[in-house]
Amino acid sequence: MAMLTNRRKEMAVAASLVAPFVLTFALVFLYPAIRLVVLSFTNSPLIGAGEWVGFDNFTRLLSDKLFLTSLKNNGYFVFLTVIPTTAIALCIALMINRLRGSLQALALAIFFLPYILPVSVVTQIWTWMLDFQFGVLQPVIAFFFGKSVAVFKNPYWVMPTVAMVTIWWTNGFNVLLFIAGLRNIPKDYYEAAQLDGATRTQLFRRVTWPLLWPVTALVLTLQMILQLKIFDQIYLLTKGGPFNSSYVMLLMVYREAFQLNHGGYASAIALVLFIVIAAFSVLQYQLLRAGGRR
Amino acid sequence: MLCRKFFAATAIALMSVPAMAAENITWWDFFSGGDGVRMKALITRFNAEHPDIKITGTTLEWGVPFYTKVRTAVAVGQGPDVMTYHLSRMPLGLKEGVLDEVTDKDLTDAGLTKDSFFPAALQAASGDDGKLHAVPFDIHSIVLYYNTKFLEGSKFLDGNGKLTGISNLKDFEEALAYAKEKGAEAPVSYATGDDGATYRVFYTLFRQLGGELITGNEVLAGDNLQKAAKAIEVMTNWQTNEWQPEQAEYEASVALFTSGKSAFSLNGVWEVPTMVDLEKKGSLGYKWGAVQVPNLMGTQTTWADSHSFAIPANNKLTPEKRKAVMTVIGWMEKNAIAWADAGHIPAFKPVAESAEFKKMEPNATYAALADTASYDPRSSIAGVGSPIYDAAINIISPAIHGYAEPMAAAEQMKSDLQNVLK
Repeated sequence: MAMLTNRRKEMAVAASLVAPFVLTFALVFLYPAIRLVVLSFTNSPLIGAGEWVGFDNFTRLLSDKLFLTSLKNNGYFVFLTVIPTTAIALCIALMINRLRGSLQALALAIFFLPYILPVSVVTQIWTWMLDFQFGVLQPVIAFFFGKSVAVFKNPYWVMPTVAMVTIWWTNGFNVLLFIAGLRNIPKDYYEAAQLDGATRTQLFRRVTWPLLWPVTALVLTLQMILQLKIFDQIYLLTKGGPFNSSYVMLLMVYREAFQLNHGGYASAIALVLFIVIAAFSVLQYQLLRAGGRR
Repeated sequence: MLCRKFFAATAIALMSVPAMAAENITWWDFFSGGDGVRMKALITRFNAEHPDIKITGTTLEWGVPFYTKVRTAVAVGQGPDVMTYHLSRMPLGLKEGVLDEVTDKDLTDAGLTKDSFFPAALQAASGDDGKLHAVPFDIHSIVLYYNTKFLEGSKFLDGNGKLTGISNLKDFEEALAYAKEKGAEAPVSYATGDDGATYRVFYTLFRQLGGELITGNEVLAGDNLQKAAKAIEVMTNWQTNEWQPEQAEYEASVALFTSGKSAFSLNGVWEVPTMVDLEKKGSLGYKWGAVQVPNLMGTQTTWADSHSFAIPANNKLTPEKRKAVMTVIGWMEKNAIAWADAGHIPAFKPVAESAEFKKMEPNATYAALADTASYDPRSSIAGVGSPIYDAAINIISPAIHGYAEPMAAAEQMKSDLQNVLK
């Protein structure tokens, strides 16, 4: 009996401790999320009530050419960023890891610096550097390609350029994760391997790579989620053009909701994007974990 | 001690309030640059002349941000008392239900009558049922600015150094070629890498061809598709011949003309003050003029839009406050000559036909464009910050730079816009 009251007391304490979080979570996340799902089955405007239209928004979505283009572009962007940024971050982390003391801190700071910039500053910097008329990088482009290229107005250049800017901006965080991962690998393993006569390549392949794999899988998954949510850079640099070649799903959500006042349809797109991200990230993480166990 | 200071401060604050309680009017607009300076001056003048009404103005960002804020604010009843509104945006505004009706009584309160406005502007400010939902303030358009330096010795300048002899596309292109030969870097400057500028030039050419962007519920129906392709082809041709700047942003396109590197500029009347100021300062270095865009393609017409004043729906205006708002609107209309200073043509005829306006140059030269102006199609996908503007930057601009054939671009425009319209 005494135990039971004790348990009840513990439950009450536990509940009161988690209550602030649960309530905040329910208010600012759960409730809006449920509203979004409800909204996606209506034809409501951005503000105000609409009528229940069942799956109309979703069937319309499947035949919306722009949606398919956006989906494709999202995929292309993920392809251009996720693996490259992870590989680059790993290389930089391996190099920084070889440095010592304040030099290491300095190198880390330099690579981390872009990450602390707000996206509007990042896009301003790159718009200026790549400006068609007077951008400082245009002579470089002209040297390699024979003429200046208006990178954000050219259907072939636009996505790779936005991807490059994104990698430059966000890479520092991944470097940090890899550095943390590298520091977690005990030195003993390297010493033991070296005693057995392992070469540098073997050290990396047999010790670093497998022991770093959990971090690599985490970085890949985080990047996948982040890059599927691309919006800011596209909105600020290209507005989806030219010829919709950089149109992505979140831009479509924004246009439908705020420009065209289609709250219901925008919610349906947002919901699909959410499902895509959830499915892909779970799938990817499971696959990567399975890959790591082998 | 602190207490006494506080009372003293309160007493002073109370003393500064005029004896009669003033009506506080919340005002939203989207004017920046030269427009913004002139609008703020007008508001300051109004406040000085009216001790019983006080306008508190807020300037928000032009385009989608402004209209999104209006829509959400009105929906929850937190809109301003009066706001500026583009008439091209009227169909979407009516569909969203963000605009209150301007009744005949309101107009009387403002000291205005319907027939004192240009019919085209009045029609654009009315719903399909003929009810007025905004009071037109101006008509603004694009005009053809010219720099006489590059045209000297050609048949395109008359004895007084005024532009002459451009009555079709062939003439204009001949003038462009002549200016190129005379060393103009970009004979005709407009922001080829910007949505608004590209759209305005496209729509002017397209309308001059007799094109209809939207008929009924169809985008570019029938041979309108060919006409759109033709307009894009003309713009592409200007690019191929290097007569227009490549991928020019708005500021760059203005700078090309003001720095004397362009013979012509197809730009909004709102840049007139820029030119006037530069000339006054003596830093222009050439003689300039502005005329309405010549008839290049067969019909005399130019893209145009209007700024107007509107009262948001879902407001909680008391009859007294509503009357004060109308007093503001009426006063602005009657003092529109100060607004014409920003290049615009007043929509209020007593001002537009006044001797003072007729003396105003170059406004008086191009004012006739108001009679033949082409407003945006009446559709919820047209107007400032609409999908049609998006199509200009997304499709027309890259197409004129050679990334797509004119016909393919017109077809994509049709399919993209049709997709939004359905």
